[in-house]
Amino acid sequence: MAVSPMYLRRAGISGITALAAIFGFASFEVLAAPDMNKVVRMAIDAQDAGFDPVLSSNLYSGTVLEAVGESLLTYDYMARPSKLVPQVAEAMPTVEDEGLTYTFKIRKGVYFAPDAVFNGKKRELVAEDFVYSYKRFLDPVWRSQWKFLFDGKIVGLNEWAAQGEKSGRVDYAARIEGLQAVDKYTLRIKLKKPDYNFMYVFAMPATVPVVREAVEKYGTDIGAHIIGTNAYMLKQYDRGRRILLEANPYYRGTPWNFSASDEPEDAAIVASMKGKTIPQVGRVEINIIEEEQSKFLAFANGQLDYVYRIGNIAESWREGKGLKPDLVARGITRLDSIDAETTFYFLNFRDPITGGYTKEKVALRRAMLMAYNMEVEAATVRRSQAIVNQMAIPRGVIGYKANFRSVNQFNPEAANKLLDKFGYKRGADGWRTQPDGGALEITLNSEPTQVSGEYDKLWSKSLEKIGIHLIVKKGTFAENQKAAHQCQLQMWGSAWAADYPDGENFLMLAYGPNSMQSNNGCYDSPIYNKLYEAALKLPDSPKRNKLYELMVRQMDYDGVWKFGVSRIRSSLLHPGVLGYKKHPVLLAEWKYMDVDLAKRNAIAVKKDKP
Amino acid sequence: MSSFILRRLWQMIPTMLGVVLLVFFLFSFVGGDPAYLLAGKISNKEQIENIRTQLGINQPYYVQLWIFIKQILTGDFGVSWATNEPVSHIIATRIGPSLTVLIPIMIIEAVLAVLVALGVAYVRGSLTDRAIMVICTVAMSVSLLVYIIIVGQYVLAYQFGWFPVQGWGESFSENLFHYSLLPILLGVAVGIAPNTRLYRTFILDEINQDYVRTARAKGLSEHKVMLKHVLRNALIPIITNLMIYLPSLLIGHFLIERFFSIPGIGREVILAVERSDFPVIKAITVYVAAATMLSNLAADLLYKAVDPRVQLK
Repeated sequence: MAVSPMYLRRAGISGITALAAIFGFASFEVLAAPDMNKVVRMAIDAQDAGFDPVLSSNLYSGTVLEAVGESLLTYDYMARPSKLVPQVAEAMPTVEDEGLTYTFKIRKGVYFAPDAVFNGKKRELVAEDFVYSYKRFLDPVWRSQWKFLFDGKIVGLNEWAAQGEKSGRVDYAARIEGLQAVDKYTLRIKLKKPDYNFMYVFAMPATVPVVREAVEKYGTDIGAHIIGTNAYMLKQYDRGRRILLEANPYYRGTPWNFSASDEPEDAAIVASMKGKTIPQVGRVEINIIEEEQSKFLAFANGQLDYVYRIGNIAESWREGKGLKPDLVARGITRLDSIDAETTFYFLNFRDPITGGYTKEKVALRRAMLMAYNMEVEAATVRRSQAIVNQMAIPRGVIGYKANFRSVNQFNPEAANKLLDKFGYKRGADGWRTQPDGGALEITLNSEPTQVSGEYDKLWSKSLEKIGIHLIVKKGTFAENQKAAHQCQLQMWGSAWAADYPDGENFLMLAYGPNSMQSNNGCYDSPIYNKLYEAALKLPDSPKRNKLYELMVRQMDYDGVWKFGVSRIRSSLLHPGVLGYKKHPVLLAEWKYMDVDLAKRNAIAVKKDKP
Repeated sequence: MSSFILRRLWQMIPTMLGVVLLVFFLFSFVGGDPAYLLAGKISNKEQIENIRTQLGINQPYYVQLWIFIKQILTGDFGVSWATNEPVSHIIATRIGPSLTVLIPIMIIEAVLAVLVALGVAYVRGSLTDRAIMVICTVAMSVSLLVYIIIVGQYVLAYQFGWFPVQGWGESFSENLFHYSLLPILLGVAVGIAPNTRLYRTFILDEINQDYVRTARAKGLSEHKVMLKHVLRNALIPIITNLMIYLPSLLIGHFLIERFFSIPGIGREVILAVERSDFPVIKAITVYVAAATMLSNLAADLLYKAVDPRVQLK
């Protein structure tokens, strides 16, 4: 007889264990409660923007949401490349009607963390919670930043929202054909057309369910009162200073049962965690420390258990590929991970100088891309905490090809020849003109920060070598974002982090119909568009991935992006921190971690205890 | 005096109106469009328009201006566009940490700057005077503040362990006597320089006056001359300077707050500007404008208290 793994907490545990032994419940799993003395203290480098899943795409909002809420699916913590697994879904969904219908069976006995809104009663998660939560993405009142995840995809959902807009209020009770709770634990979603990447949406923190009663009670302040079913609950939210999470007493608890991938640190992680109950750590203390020096010193002082995103002060802790001897002597270890992201510079295809598809325009763009040495950017401005990407799809993402080489490699000589060949003549002052004799000046938009200034200088010097005069125009990120969205920037540097680990999430940034939405260069190539549309119709397969490769090559030939870098994120860990590993897509690792209190308490807290 | 105060309060209304118009038009025309930030990574035209409608920024300017004025009159600036946190909550929770650090900085800095200025003015032209003035000039560079914070934090907090590296606690006393000590020390170390130079000039202006010569001729001690006569007469410009500084307490100190992880208003101001979070910017601007006018009034009243010859008209 098997009993579903529930938390048998504190005083109750021993008695029930004894009963289980007496009655011979061999497969009865007794899961230890998390130790409330075990605290993970860490820092984030910017403020969150609240925890309403539909409202914020802020990285740290997503991190906390992931720790507090549970989406239907998640990723295997250790598997590389990333692998989707069920979370509150009992199993992976059944997909029918040639990829149009998804049916999820939701686990029974999953409860939301306690909150005043429940009046002391336990509140079970049901399929209707997902229906309500997904409808909110299209409700204009919430102006969701994640609307695009569902926009135009689910049968009847947009029509429901349009009806609400007309009448001034959406009707959450209204039935939507494509989004239904078939019964208490069954959720059925019907798509308008097949979307083989739609499954990833159900693993995103944005799609964790919210409690309707809580939304109705807290209104727009729901972001400060998020209630979830995951291992942690929001205990204290001191905006701008600290977020405290505490183990959710209603979390069902699951065994830590992951297998090592072929990454070197995995064997030790698995050895230290295998068989333990998730979560082990009772509390998580998230401090907001914006400056890297402050963050590193707080870690070195013993105020933090681990530290992350300190690449700009690498000289303070790095020695070669390791750590400075004094840190090694203190038992501190370093773990590197590479973000599933890429930076890039785009050129505007609607601009009179950089835009167009004629040969001389292509030559100009490619010459500019060939003039810039991304390796230098990675080594200098990025302090060797980045790897250069050869394609638009970064490593760790499906569709990445390790042996792909961009045709626009750094080669100023070839760039000069290309410009000479296509009539960009040099004047007496050394600057080139356009083939029709007009001035050739390129405007790079950038932000008024020190690091942006360093990139500007690199570009300026690079283009000067091929006779192109660069003008740097400074503006706030908001201004640049707006202009980019309207295809008004000639050239701008940007970055994209994977929402899900499939190349399509990056390639859509160059899809023509996405201009004025996410395709800021307004590149609109019929060849590329056709390949993209063909790829959408295929599941993950060598055939589809070949299409991805062809698309990147087309971008390369047309000179769409200067492919940038993926940042290396080094984490430093004190002894006693167990189970820590950065996942390319998952944001919150705390529930998979443990703290060895004996080792932790032996850390010389150098001067100050927090 | 009461009629003077009433008149001054009455005069604040058109001044405030001017501030409101200036802030409103500045933000409306050059403040960026928050809709693009709020729309997230991927958005279309309809979404942007929907956000504008909800925020009310696509309404005619006169309507938006009227809403702004109503907000000032009611003191309710709504919620932050970026986080939905009520603006009143943002200000109420962030102003305390800023003041915990900035008020001691202001007081210590003022006392020390006056004393040092008196000292160097007394030995004017000497090597000590010149050396201190050179140090003050160097210290007036803004970038120096960054270096002083970085070095101070590393050496005094991390290496010597005299102070916490960063952080903020739950109680006022813990924050003032534990977490704020180093930020206060560094803030005073840098902020004292310009004031010392300024106050020295004020004091020198007085030292050369005839009444000082007369006081000395009457046989008064140098101590009395400097503290009773010179300082008292130099106090009017010093008070003016202090009162100018007072409203800036409301906008915090971005660098100090950032390096020491102090959850103050300075970080919020910068964030609000970056996010084009107009409700927060509007509220803080209005409060600072009101505080500036009130502190000017307070300065005028203090002039009268310090110097009976001053007539309040």
